[in-house]
Amino acid sequence: MIKIVTDSTADIPKEVAEQWDIHILPLKVLIDGETYLDGVTITPSAFFEKLENASSFPSTSQPSPVEFAEKYQEILDKHGEDTQIISIHLSSALSGTYQSARLGANLLETKANIHVLDSKKAAYFLGMMVVEAAKAAKNGMSVDQCMELIHKMMKEQEEFFVLDTLTYLQKGGRIGKAQAIVGTLLNVKPILSLNEAGEVFPFEKVRGKKKAITRILDECKQYAGEEKVIASVLYGLNRPEAEELRDRLIEEFMIQEITLTEIGPVIGAHVGPQALGVLMYKP
Amino acid sequence: MIQEKFMRKNEISGEELSQMFFAGAASLSNHASKVDALNVFPVPDGDTGTNMNLTMTSGISELKKQSSHHAGKVSQSLAKGLLMGARGNSGVILSQLFRGFSKAVAEDESVTAEKLALALSQGVTMAYEAVMKPVEGTILTVAKDAAVGAMQAVRQTNDIVQVMKIVLDTAEQSLARTPELLPILKEVGVVDSGGQGLVYIYTGFYQALLGNMPETSPHETMTPEQFQEDRAQIHLKTEDIEFGYCTEFIVKRNMAIPFHQGSFREKMSQFGDSLLVVADDEWVKIHIHSEHPGEVLNFGQKFGELIGIKIENMRDQHAHIVSEDLDKAGNSAEELSESPILPFGIVAVGMGDGISDILKSLGANQIVEGGQSMNPSTEDLIQAAQQLQAEHIIFLPNNKNIILAAEQAGKILGTPATVIPTRSIPQGMAALLAFQLEESAETNKQLMIDAISAVKSGQVTYAVRDTKLEQLDIREGDFLGLFEGEIIVSGQAAMEVGKELLSRMIDENTEIITILYGEGITETESEEFLNELQEAYPEIEIELHRGGQPLYAFIFSVE
Repeated sequence: MIKIVTDSTADIPKEVAEQWDIHILPLKVLIDGETYLDGVTITPSAFFEKLENASSFPSTSQPSPVEFAEKYQEILDKHGEDTQIISIHLSSALSGTYQSARLGANLLETKANIHVLDSKKAAYFLGMMVVEAAKAAKNGMSVDQCMELIHKMMKEQEEFFVLDTLTYLQKGGRIGKAQAIVGTLLNVKPILSLNEAGEVFPFEKVRGKKKAITRILDECKQYAGEEKVIASVLYGLNRPEAEELRDRLIEEFMIQEITLTEIGPVIGAHVGPQALGVLMYKP
Repeated sequence: MIQEKFMRKNEISGEELSQMFFAGAASLSNHASKVDALNVFPVPDGDTGTNMNLTMTSGISELKKQSSHHAGKVSQSLAKGLLMGARGNSGVILSQLFRGFSKAVAEDESVTAEKLALALSQGVTMAYEAVMKPVEGTILTVAKDAAVGAMQAVRQTNDIVQVMKIVLDTAEQSLARTPELLPILKEVGVVDSGGQGLVYIYTGFYQALLGNMPETSPHETMTPEQFQEDRAQIHLKTEDIEFGYCTEFIVKRNMAIPFHQGSFREKMSQFGDSLLVVADDEWVKIHIHSEHPGEVLNFGQKFGELIGIKIENMRDQHAHIVSEDLDKAGNSAEELSESPILPFGIVAVGMGDGISDILKSLGANQIVEGGQSMNPSTEDLIQAAQQLQAEHIIFLPNNKNIILAAEQAGKILGTPATVIPTRSIPQGMAALLAFQLEESAETNKQLMIDAISAVKSGQVTYAVRDTKLEQLDIREGDFLGLFEGEIIVSGQAAMEVGKELLSRMIDENTEIITILYGEGITETESEEFLNELQEAYPEIEIELHRGGQPLYAFIFSVE
């Protein structure tokens, strides 16, 4: 039997996690002096509302190795010692979560059965590969086949964030000072993506949101061609905008399946409440 | 009447050559406004004469520093000065003509007719090399034809006066043919302005050889030395200035009143210091630092009409200069300690405080003031680049007449440099956005050049004279709509012309319009304009910013 573990930054909706039996460990979010468990004691929208009025930039902390060890142990106790665990996490370039998971796995005697992976991704860019791996596992695929699928998605999927403002990225200190200054006067929308090392990089800077979206859809079209794709639109407090973009994707692409997913606090703190994300993969 | 024997010369000394250069500069200077007026478009960019004159002035002031009478050294000084002061396309081409010239005579104590012809030809070769896409029917053609004339002439004669006469004649004939080569000249009915400027220079050369030194008009602008003299007062304290007003004016003499320069100067000197009195038969030019400029003017007025009056409060100016300098010192010290060396330094040209802020916000590190009719010199660009501690300099000229000067600056700079040939502020903005700090210079050049082609530039300005252009009947003062530099709309109201121009620029792929409104437009007017456009184009994102630029009511960027 294969069980899938991930962390709360994968932004997997509760019902989806339940449906495919995905185990999620929450990161902790500290905002305005209060600590919350991501997705457990605070919802993304509640977080964004706090973020807009927060006096200082929120901080996050990864689950401890012990928390991981306990989670793995709980799964092994419940489903038997020979259960295979695939534990996929937020890019190690962005957080210590992956490191913590590996240490947690090392605390157990049966570590041979626990496969900890650095997804090099964040948000639902990570979430979708977790869900696809969970589906594959439920459909009877082997651990190797599931791992192969994850690696393929890691390499191939197209993923972009269009930011409404650079303010949050700037506050979070995730971009160089020089880059941060760019476009503070004009309506510049930075398009971000993730590189092979799992780092956020500025893909392009575009004037206006419409142009920015056209730009990423052009990029997606080059990738997808006429083939069937699974896709997701990521959003913060801007669901209507995300719905509009979803409808546009359905119109312009051969969509096999498309989801709308809320951006959680850990990534949301950096991209801001009005960011939009697009994720596409040819299964 | 000049006698034949005085007109013949087989050789000219370095001293005579430098007299020729002075005379050429004076002749150009006396006709600079005439050259300005020849500009093809009725848009206010009539600055060819001004640019060539400023370039030449810089050459002459370098030449004045040269004490040697060696022809090679004299030419070299002129060429160096021209190069550093080169402004506008014609100015840069002029600098190249004399750079080639000076190389040809570098080793020569004196110059023969044959050498003169060769030097003119080498200048032409160098100028053609400097221009990426040489256009015939311009200063280049005139210079080339004149050089060919000289080469042919030296086969017949070794008389340098005769050769120079042929140079001038062929240049004039070539100038007259420029409308045949450049259709736009014919359409407007003028000859090429840069070519005309060169003819004036050659006229001065020829006259000098005949022994006639042209007089400079009293309108001569302040020379760079004088300017530096003023700047040198930074070392003084503001309160130490004894005579507070820099006073300059010209007396157009009333011929009925007797005038004696010596006693005039003596009387004048009682009013203050730094006195300069330059006089010819009709004019007296006065420059003085005085505490009572009114008395100075009263005295001057006794001798005739006063014109060109300029009075500046030096205490006030000085306080500004000093605080500016303190600011600069503070900034540079900070820069040095905080950021050692940038991988890239971007120098952009722009006019208007709003535009300057926008360019900076998009990542430009230095803004050089300039644009249409105010082309910065090569030296201005170099100075801006040198203020940046960068491994690689990127120049954004943002005007077609500044591209050459930027290329020149890039060559002389000593630091690796790339010129992105941006022809407008919108192109400059697009190039800045495409820039990626992590990428190589080569990749960035490509990214930025690609970005230029994705943006459409429009401008609304006004006509400086009546013109007929294809279907457009343009009256002086009309507003003109330019699309990529071409006039396509005209009318009496800036907003109407702006709307019509935009309607021609927009197509079904247009997603965003950026409007930069100029110094002649109020905030209220610009917002009204924005509202009307938003109603007309609900599907397009429209951004409005104050550019603060002179001459252009609106600059549009359409993407």
